[in-house]
Amino acid sequence: MVQVHFVAHDGTRTSVEAEAGTSIMAAAVANGIDGIVGECGGAAMCATCHVYLDPADAARVPDRAEIEEEMLDSAAAEVTGFSRLSCQITLEPGLDGLVVHLPQSQH
Amino acid sequence: MPLAPSNAEVSFDQLTLDPYPVYRRMRAETPVVRVESVKRTFLTKAAHTRLVKDNPELFSSNDPNTPMQPAFRAHTLMRKDGAAHRRERMAMQPSFTPKVIKSNWAEKYEAIAKDYIARLPQDGGVDLYRDLCGPVAARILAVILGIEDATDEQMMRWSQNLIDGAGNFAWRPGPFEVTDRANDEMNALFDRIAQRHLADPGPSAFSVMLNAKDPIPREQIYANLKIAIGGGINEPRDALATIVYGLLRDPGQFEEVRRQEAWDAAFEEGVRWVAPIQASSRLVLEDCQIGGWDIPKGDTVMTIQASSNRDEDVYENGEDFIVFRPSNPHQAFGSGPHHCAGANIARRTVGQIMLPLLFDAFPRMSLPDAEAVQWRGFGFRGPINLPVRLN
Ligand code: HEM
Ligand code: FES
Repeated sequence: MVQVHFVAHDGTRTSVEAEAGTSIMAAAVANGIDGIVGECGGAAMCATCHVYLDPADAARVPDRAEIEEEMLDSAAAEVTGFSRLSCQITLEPGLDGLVVHLPQSQH
Repeated sequence: MPLAPSNAEVSFDQLTLDPYPVYRRMRAETPVVRVESVKRTFLTKAAHTRLVKDNPELFSSNDPNTPMQPAFRAHTLMRKDGAAHRRERMAMQPSFTPKVIKSNWAEKYEAIAKDYIARLPQDGGVDLYRDLCGPVAARILAVILGIEDATDEQMMRWSQNLIDGAGNFAWRPGPFEVTDRANDEMNALFDRIAQRHLADPGPSAFSVMLNAKDPIPREQIYANLKIAIGGGINEPRDALATIVYGLLRDPGQFEEVRRQEAWDAAFEEGVRWVAPIQASSRLVLEDCQIGGWDIPKGDTVMTIQASSNRDEDVYENGEDFIVFRPSNPHQAFGSGPHHCAGANIARRTVGQIMLPLLFDAFPRMSLPDAEAVQWRGFGFRGPINLPVRLN
């Protein structure tokens, strides 16, 4: 199991455990994390799974692929260098303990 | 494993008039079922419809041999998979992002909404469906697409023609003659205004597609505009009419929505309750199983999102319009690669602009006779009239 910590916009922290191989978006949806919608089910077509990597973690996570880069423009909240579509990040043992911050809104 | 059970009783008319009792029974007794009158395998549970839409490798949209091809005179993005689909879809995406909607469209849309609301006769009864929901949806779409030159009547007629043509599974010549004329008119308009967009680039979908660094072919630009016309008027129109109906029919709930300004939640509940696009089809590429039933390669499955949105496994009292739900993970905008490209626009224009402005203008609006409202549709569904008193 891989642990992820979600930090909501108001600072509330929720920690969940997910099977390696699931996406961060799927882990969030399965655990009822409100700040992630994931409406397109992980197809990189809705940008309602936008998160910010914690700066301390950014180097551990593989870079954005082109389709993710392109779709991030459709995120509702501000896009920064730490912005990711969480459906495009697969949880691997190397990402254990990852901290992701949630935007105020996904719409 | 056996093939899914077959249902030879349910008629197409029944599904068009009121499919919900049929779906409720199917969810309980035959959640995966071959419906003879429609010649499709219906999937009525939320988990199954999502599974199919999220797996394009197994359940393809790529089916050039549907009536959509002659109706649109193109193999459109809705019927493509993979990279070809993504490229055409992303070509217009820049026009539909939340940020562009906020910075470019929101103000224009408020002005349009106010203008169309102001035109309603101030006293007595009106048919809100005919007098407001349709025309305002047509105008909003014309603006975002960059084809303001088209009248509301043209937009609504083309949209309906394309829908009728794409649904002409009986392959009768009549509907294709109608879409041929509509295609000629649309192409003539697009040809006429393309130069203007090339000379003066803007954020509209037409302009963004024409002026892209690496543009998609002109025929596909036109096909994309037609998909947006066919898929961008009826749904917001029907969503608005459905939500207004749901609210007016339950004054207590309406009062609470107004007090909390819960328009976003009212929007989500309206599209959940009566999904404007009720069903979609996918072609099965390999023998597989759904819900324990064999689904053979070559079959066409229909995801009935209308039914998923009322699935007892997901919702309590799913048959009722209840704005304040603990969560609302509906599939009204679909899922997977074909997830609605206009979801942001619909949420903003209907939920955040039309609903508050309309009830602000007519705080005492009422529905004198809820029974007079008629509902229609199997593929697309909504009220076909909405007689209200404004004051
Ligand atoms: C309440 C309003 C709306 C609802 C409920 C809705 C629903 C849907 C659904 C369910 C699909 C997926 C069909 C499938 O899976 O085969 C879809 C696709 C699509 N919608 Fe919407 N829609 C709405 C408004 C709009 C608007 C305003 C536009 C215009 C910009 C639009 C443009 C599209 C396009 C272009 C597609 C095709 C996407 C693709 O195939 O990649 N929709 N819509
Ligand atoms: S879930 Fe839609 S883009 Fe990630």
